[in-house]
Amino acid sequence: MSAPALRVEDVSKRFGDVLALDRVSLEFFSGEVHAVLGENGAGKSTLMSVLAGFVVPDSGAVAYDGAGQYPFGHPHRVRELGIEMVHQHFMLVQEFTVAENFALGTLDSLRGALSETEVESRLQAVAKDLGWETDASARTGSLPVGVQQRLEIMKALAGDARVLILDEPTAVLSPGEVADLFRVLRRLSDGGKCVVLVAHKLSEVMAVSDRVTVLRGGKFVATALTSSVNEATLAEWMVGEVPPSRSPLTATHAVPLLSVVGLHVRGARGEEAVRGATFHVSPGEVLGIGGVDGNGQNELAEALVGLRPFSGGELVWSVGEHRTGYVPQDRQRQGLALDMSLLDNVLVQDNREFWSGPFLRKRALRTHAESLVREYEIKVRDLSDPVRGMSGGNQQKLVVSRVLAGSPDLLVANNPTRGLDVRATAYVQQRLLEAAQNGAAVVLFTTDLDELAAMSSRALFMSRGELREGGAEAMVG
Amino acid sequence: MKKVALVAIGLFAVVVLCLWVFGLPVGESLKDLWEGAAGDEFGRARTLVRATPLVFCALGIIVAWRAKMYNIGGEGQYVIGGVCGAWVAKSFVGLAPGLLNPLILVGAMLGGALYAGLAGWLQVKRGVQVVISTILLNFIALKVLSYAVTGPLQQTSKQNPMTDQLPNDVMFARFDPQSDLHVGVVLPFIAAALVFIYLYWTKGGFRLRLVGENEEAARVSGVPVPRVQMGAMLLSGALCGLAGGVDFAGFIGQVGLGYSQNWGFLAIPVALLGGLHPLGVLLSGLFFGGLFAGSENLATFNTLGSTVVYVMQAVAVLAFVGFKAWLDSRRPRAEGA
Amino acid sequence: MDALMLAIAVLHFAAPVAFAAVGEAVAQRSGVINIGLEGVMLVACYFAMLGSATTGSPWLGMLFGVLAALALGVVQSFFTLRLAADQIVVGTAVNLFALGLTDTLFRARFGQTGSLISVERVPKLFGDLDVVLLLLLACAAYFAWFLAKTKRGLVVRAAGEYPDAVEAAGFSAISARFWCTIVGAALAGLGGAYLAVGVTGSFASGMTMGRGFLAIAIVTFGRWRPAWVLAAALLVGYSESVQYTLQARDLQVPGELLQALPHLVALGVLVLVGRGTAMPAMLAVPYRRDK
Repeated sequence: MSAPALRVEDVSKRFGDVLALDRVSLEFFSGEVHAVLGENGAGKSTLMSVLAGFVVPDSGAVAYDGAGQYPFGHPHRVRELGIEMVHQHFMLVQEFTVAENFALGTLDSLRGALSETEVESRLQAVAKDLGWETDASARTGSLPVGVQQRLEIMKALAGDARVLILDEPTAVLSPGEVADLFRVLRRLSDGGKCVVLVAHKLSEVMAVSDRVTVLRGGKFVATALTSSVNEATLAEWMVGEVPPSRSPLTATHAVPLLSVVGLHVRGARGEEAVRGATFHVSPGEVLGIGGVDGNGQNELAEALVGLRPFSGGELVWSVGEHRTGYVPQDRQRQGLALDMSLLDNVLVQDNREFWSGPFLRKRALRTHAESLVREYEIKVRDLSDPVRGMSGGNQQKLVVSRVLAGSPDLLVANNPTRGLDVRATAYVQQRLLEAAQNGAAVVLFTTDLDELAAMSSRALFMSRGELREGGAEAMVG
Repeated sequence: MKKVALVAIGLFAVVVLCLWVFGLPVGESLKDLWEGAAGDEFGRARTLVRATPLVFCALGIIVAWRAKMYNIGGEGQYVIGGVCGAWVAKSFVGLAPGLLNPLILVGAMLGGALYAGLAGWLQVKRGVQVVISTILLNFIALKVLSYAVTGPLQQTSKQNPMTDQLPNDVMFARFDPQSDLHVGVVLPFIAAALVFIYLYWTKGGFRLRLVGENEEAARVSGVPVPRVQMGAMLLSGALCGLAGGVDFAGFIGQVGLGYSQNWGFLAIPVALLGGLHPLGVLLSGLFFGGLFAGSENLATFNTLGSTVVYVMQAVAVLAFVGFKAWLDSRRPRAEGA
Repeated sequence: MDALMLAIAVLHFAAPVAFAAVGEAVAQRSGVINIGLEGVMLVACYFAMLGSATTGSPWLGMLFGVLAALALGVVQSFFTLRLAADQIVVGTAVNLFALGLTDTLFRARFGQTGSLISVERVPKLFGDLDVVLLLLLACAAYFAWFLAKTKRGLVVRAAGEYPDAVEAAGFSAISARFWCTIVGAALAGLGGAYLAVGVTGSFASGMTMGRGFLAIAIVTFGRWRPAWVLAAALLVGYSESVQYTLQARDLQVPGELLQALPHLVALGVLVLVGRGTAMPAMLAVPYRRDK
């Protein structure tokens, strides 16, 4: 075998308390489709960010066939080495035409006029090479996501890219588009390019890759020829042993609080994000919904608590009046107003006790906030300080505490422990279990299989907007 | 309190700096400023009368800006408030003064509110930022003004482009016929208190602040974001319109082509230096009202005009912005952000 | 012949606004709104007058005016781009600063009354036509071509729509915005300077009389395209001159309605189609690279 196109040597990267990459080493060769597989938080994204030049590792090196240091922290210089990345979030100007976006992404200098015919002929050449048709004058934002992704790939391949890294490219595609993408990736690797595919769906990895590397918890687990492994092996490498359920709660046979029947919910782009979800949840249980991010969990969660309209199906409640509580996924973006005080952030959760008519009962709010701080051991200097200064764990305790204080009948928590350290995680999980024990119906969305096992009375898995039952294999299907 | 003291010291430093840069004897000029603003009854009256539209418009601006609606159309809303007030005065001429006066104010508020509401509607429903639309609306307001005072609202004698002078008994009572001080100058104090109560002690005000601080968190906690933004613009316009109405019914008594004295623009730095807080705005409004009043006195002793205050305002705002950016850059980034 | 003279007269009359509006169109396409345009023009007015008065050359006056405008533009971009401060706040401060500064300097130098001074004006070629007006036409044409057809223009437009895409392509969105701010200030400076030494030949406090704000409004009316913006500025100029004609003929058309027409049309367009696709998506949104 020739020298690898890229050799990652002992790369480590720490973010705060989290060791995102722990002495990872692996090699990528020209002419292969190399899948990098792992759960959320396994370190895939960090590794790709290091390779693309966005993140500077704490230690370690990357060798490429060329002299000199790898230009960590300089994405543009990485691209000059022929290492191109297709991001999950497209770097496309929605208002531009396809040709304009292509031109922007492949601009070599700023000097001079832009020759439309030259851009178009380059674009058509790349497209033809990949077997795609493209409408150079179409407005990018009006195109389906799959076509936009093709444009990203064409941008990346316009120069003489040797390594093409794709970050979770199939998450947004329909099955037909996935098949077409894979055809193109194969063609590229047959043409001698090194294709690195960041993925989490086993079937896709099996379908397209030559070799596969699995990361778990920031550590290298194994690299294997895809033909020499099966999905079960890969699943085991990814998640370790699938832990048996050890939730203290068992499924109840109580009357369901909420029955969800054939629910359809549209996402922000108008796509069908939830496709016919049907399930029920009863008081006293934790219904865990596992699955990889971006498969409709956010939309389903928001629909359950009434924040997002649904386009089909229905929610059937067994009691007329019910309270819902929602722990959103991103506490800083959705849960808290960081520059407001703890008091104000407690107030975000609507609570009749705080108001007399339109007026705030300051004393009631303060008393309530003090009791939350005491009960949940939230560390804060002053209740009037902006919550920005609090640690992530304490911020999340605040969000969880104010939701639970409303004693909701239905509690929906969306990855409530993401980014928390071990102690804070255990604490939040304990509180959610207690809420269920005290009679709340809890729906827990989590991408963490350990958490799913530790918490759920019953578990479902969500994939492409659909729910299914079963073990970890359902998650990777 | 510490912040207030810091801003006060900063403002004082800026005033001294500007006087020095323009080559004025600092000590003497400060004395002139003080005497013009607070030295005697007339000075204090001037200060309060200047501060009135400043505080009203600045309150209007903070209500909008706290909801992240960048209303810079205070000027247009002030003018429309004045025109609507004059229109009410003309339409209901002969009504008992005790009724007409408040009716004028109500008309001014409604006019300003609807005018700002249009800009709010454009942002909420059409995605057009309030900044852009309020610039257009400021222009249109001036044209409306000039149409009104040369057309339907022109004085009966048709000599000048202005409305008839409001009869004295319809106007706010004056404490002393010699001075401009009218009863209406207490209104900004009341308004500031009400805006304070609204923003910090009521549900509506809380929602408004939450939308401004984090729109997404507001949405996720069930706040109807567009309605709150719309409400903020309506209230903002009402306050700026009221500024125009109070100046009309209290101080000037007639609306002419030059009705706008830039109060809507000058209120923006007042709002900023007041920390976008209603009580802070009251203080900074009084401060700048005093500075304008004092600068009129200063101008009698040298070639300076009251426009030197504009420079002070501008420098103070830039210093404020720069200081805040410096603080931000020292603050550690939030985790994961 | 009459029509041509009228066209030139309108061009002459509308040039200060048109310059500023064309420059502001470029700046806004990069995502920067300059609320301080009025102030930039005013400063240019004053220094152009001062330059012409002291050197006796209107050309040096124009140069003085543009340099002063550029200085203001640099200060402004330090705050809006380097410190990522709010563009609206900074622009407001620039306006006040300029209005106060020019008035104060003017009074200090030319006396409290501001006795009417008259300075050397730009020489005319033909009717009201002069070299600066030709420069205006050239600027509008150049920037229309620049935005639509050049590589830099592409980057500028991307900086106004999605700065991350510019950075991903290996260029700096901040520097694109900086240069556009400078272009905007320079053109506003030309407009202001021309107002002083090309149109009025004098200075008066606050003499721009809202022309800077008008320019911002005209950018909206001209849908952010330099050529359309120029046309819009001329239309506004024409409607104002027509108004004088009508008044001269004693026709009973409310002149204000005519004057307000361009603004009303611009507003009507916004009401009907909203921001549409023409308004840069990231207009007035500060860009921070390290978010």
